[in-house]
Amino acid sequence: MSTEQPTGSAPRRERSGPYVAVVRWMENLSETQYAYLLLTPAFLLLGAIAFWPLVSTFQLSLFADSLGQASVGEFIGLGNYVAILTGERTALLPSPFLPQSLTVGAMFNSALAVTVVFTVISVFFETIIGFVQALVLDQNFRGRRWVRVAIILPWAIPIVVQGMIFFLMFQPNLGFLVGTSDNPAFLNQIGLLTTTPLANAQDATMIVIVADVWKTTAFMALLILAGMQSIDRSLYDVAKVAGASPWQRFKYITFPIILPTVMVAMLFRTIQAMRIYGLIETVAGCTTVPSLSCLVITTFNNRMLGSSATVAFITAAIIAAIVSVYIVGYARGDV
Amino acid sequence: MNDDTTRPDGGVQTEPELKRGPFQRWINRSIDDPERAYRAMFYVATGFFLVTTLFPFYFLLVLAVTPEAAGLQLVPAAFDFGVFLDVFRQINFLRYMFNSLVLALTTTAIVLLLSSLAGYVFGRLEFPGRTPLMLLVLAISYFPPAAFFVPLYQLFTGNVIQGLVLYNTPGAMILPFSSLFMPLSIFILTTFYGQIPDGLEDAARVEGTTRLGALFRVIVPLSAPGVATAGVLTFIAVYNEFFFSQLMNNGQPENWAPIVGGLLQLQRAGQFQVTYGIMAAGSIIAVVPVAILVVVAQEKIVSGLTAGALKE
Repeated sequence: MSTEQPTGSAPRRERSGPYVAVVRWMENLSETQYAYLLLTPAFLLLGAIAFWPLVSTFQLSLFADSLGQASVGEFIGLGNYVAILTGERTALLPSPFLPQSLTVGAMFNSALAVTVVFTVISVFFETIIGFVQALVLDQNFRGRRWVRVAIILPWAIPIVVQGMIFFLMFQPNLGFLVGTSDNPAFLNQIGLLTTTPLANAQDATMIVIVADVWKTTAFMALLILAGMQSIDRSLYDVAKVAGASPWQRFKYITFPIILPTVMVAMLFRTIQAMRIYGLIETVAGCTTVPSLSCLVITTFNNRMLGSSATVAFITAAIIAAIVSVYIVGYARGDV
Repeated sequence: MNDDTTRPDGGVQTEPELKRGPFQRWINRSIDDPERAYRAMFYVATGFFLVTTLFPFYFLLVLAVTPEAAGLQLVPAAFDFGVFLDVFRQINFLRYMFNSLVLALTTTAIVLLLSSLAGYVFGRLEFPGRTPLMLLVLAISYFPPAAFFVPLYQLFTGNVIQGLVLYNTPGAMILPFSSLFMPLSIFILTTFYGQIPDGLEDAARVEGTTRLGALFRVIVPLSAPGVATAGVLTFIAVYNEFFFSQLMNNGQPENWAPIVGGLLQLQRAGQFQVTYGIMAAGSIIAVVPVAILVVVAQEKIVSGLTAGALKE
């Protein structure tokens, strides 16, 4: 304690000094004042590094792309949004935002379409596989701990390593998945992959989906498992006595009880899948698979700050819309 | 799977059953007792998941240790472990690893301190504005990093405040990491701190502990598992992060680029300068710290993920 003692003070020490003053001031705050005091550091950080950038992104999105030295051009209101959503800006963007036509090629070239395709397919498979994984982990068996470690491991590795693994696995002639035109591998022969899959938008999207399912299914499985383990086990005993088969026990007990948990897990995964960037950047590059986050970065690198901020804000708005749909659906199912 | 050569009673098999294959015998028994079929499905599923999750790691290992001259085979014909040293010779991989660990540990410390304060407030205090503020924190975790990127990049390169340049310094990554990963820790700690009985805190206060003293000497130690959970999850999240790790530095080790920079540098150097084996070896080395953490702290990871996500 940094209490400065006045010389010749009595044995009963007078408490003073800055530390004591602060403590005394803190002790006298009301609960509300104290609560806000303790929240200040966290909210200062969130304010400067999260809220301010969000507001500022929106602000930037109202300005035209700069042509000269300045970082942004003149104020054009919602002009960027109109230009991007109507396709007027497409010629200037590194990749189109909306699909140019309804062909498959155009879909995989468009930031919005490719992100939606990626999100829907990967979340669908993650849910199904995660469910089965959770059923496996819910059993009691020897070595369960190690099976769980194996299942979590992909979730815990850096995105760049995940990308590296799939980049290497699908290198022509390196792994056994992709051959060359003289020596096609099985996947080439059945026409699933071309011989340069990482340079082909459709193949690369498929590989990115497989990589994402491989890594994040564990997250889904753990959440669903937690839901399963919160089920009252006596329900199963009652069902067993009543003669229900394991399938019936699953259908009438497990499934309805964990459905809300599955919905929450799907919401989380959807939000994360919509921001896909690093995996694509490592596996195939942002020009081959232009996800929404990729488009933000590629437009930014082209010094189109207004457009970049607009795409970023539209992405955030789409995610916000998905969140509200889930929350409304969840609330309706709950009541 | 189920080849009974001796019968349970120890007798020799002389029954006609012998003529049938083991598979048919097994099917017959399964029809009598469906639990057996479910058991078999369980083993098949477990085996399948073990193979699919672990195979990519095995591939990486085989690719790394197979010498370049030898062809890649499922069981390598020759081994060459020197490739793990080549990674460090090729680029300053040690520095990249060091940067990653420093960034992750610093962020974890900041997040734990700030979210301890916030978690205490949300978990134990009643005050007006509690719910809206919690929703505000929750909302942050919904936004994609791309929505923060442009202004933060401008800020860190000194275009907003003259003279404040954080680009290529640890700060340019630690600040975004801290604010983006803090919400999860706040929710985990709110749950844990909220569960400590009021009596314990009151007792400490009666004993003359200050308000902050009660938090850091009573509540935090009693919630040690929760704090450890939040710490482990934050560390893993930061160590694995890609977006800001790549974009807030120029990828050079002396500019605090983490392993993202190192591995991308290996990848982009191209096959002729850096063999695929070296890329694989670098990836394996990068996984080691988190792999150890998963084995040691898997219970914490599981409980933290579920508590944090299902809190909502």
